[in-house]
Amino acid sequence: MRRNSPRVFAVASRFFRQRSLVEEAAQEIFLKAFSELGSFEGRGSMEGWLTRIATNTCLNLLRSSKRRPELTVSDLTEDDSAWLESKLSDAASERHQSSERSLVAADLAGRVLEGMTAADQLVLTMIDGEDASVKDVAEMTGWSESKVKVQAFRARRRMRQAVEKLLGRGGIKVPVKGSANASS
Amino acid sequence: MNNEHIIKLIENKAWSELTDSDMATARAHISVCESCSQAWQAARISALLLKERAAQTFAPTPFFETRVLAALREQQNQQWTWARMWRATGALASSMVATVAAIAVLTFVMPSSPGDSVSSELTSASNTYSAEEVILNQGTVADNQNDQESDAQVLTTLYDEEK
Repeated sequence: MRRNSPRVFAVASRFFRQRSLVEEAAQEIFLKAFSELGSFEGRGSMEGWLTRIATNTCLNLLRSSKRRPELTVSDLTEDDSAWLESKLSDAASERHQSSERSLVAADLAGRVLEGMTAADQLVLTMIDGEDASVKDVAEMTGWSESKVKVQAFRARRRMRQAVEKLLGRGGIKVPVKGSANASS
Repeated sequence: MNNEHIIKLIENKAWSELTDSDMATARAHISVCESCSQAWQAARISALLLKERAAQTFAPTPFFETRVLAALREQQNQQWTWARMWRATGALASSMVATVAAIAVLTFVMPSSPGDSVSSELTSASNTYSAEEVILNQGTVADNQNDQESDAQVLTTLYDEEK
């Protein structure tokens, strides 16, 4: 358990943004793993088996919890607005931002994601956030690769639309065309 | 190429998967298309937010292991309690079935056996005489005997007196 705890916590952190919720999910994952230990046939790695259990347990926990309404402009804090504005105006600062601003961004991302389905959150965090491959996500969830691709496509659209709403209605100055900094 | 919207491009791939060629195409297009420019900015911000979100992970606390082991013990205790209750319920149910079967045997099988003659005699006797009649009859017989004795005694006394 000591060896696998960081991995389980990393998986749970994808889904929940509060430490208490992450710990509860991790505990649930280990209890489930202990009770299903007999079903582990030893074909794949123990870590892979545990990660699959962790992912599915977190998905189920997230599905059973009440989904929050979509984040609106009025929910944005001053820090959120400042972060968004800075990202729009100065793409070069991405690499030099403070840890405090990273937390603001992570928190904002968490709140945007909370308005989305559990499956959307999973594919966005894994593929777009952690650069996981479609195959990795398919293996972890038991979904087909085409399902993962479609899910990611739709989730990206929903995420982009949600952010677009925040930018458009929040009085945040979107740079005029031609001056958009498109960094990779 | 500049006339083609880039929405599909940014929805099909993760931001980090966009190639230099994709970027060049997008830049050329967003300089002339307002709606795609906004979509592009939103997609870029989304990607940044998701990167920051993915970077934020929690490490287990020192007490986590103890907590999980305690929860596991509690879960096992609950399972044992349920198993014990289930076994007790099974024993109770089987004893009840046995009792019902025994009562059924006593009710439907035993009356037809010959050993039950005493109860049938009592039943027929009660049909003929009531308990009251039996007592009264017994009293009458006793009275008659007393009367007979007293008559004999009276005669003896009379004859003795004549002599």
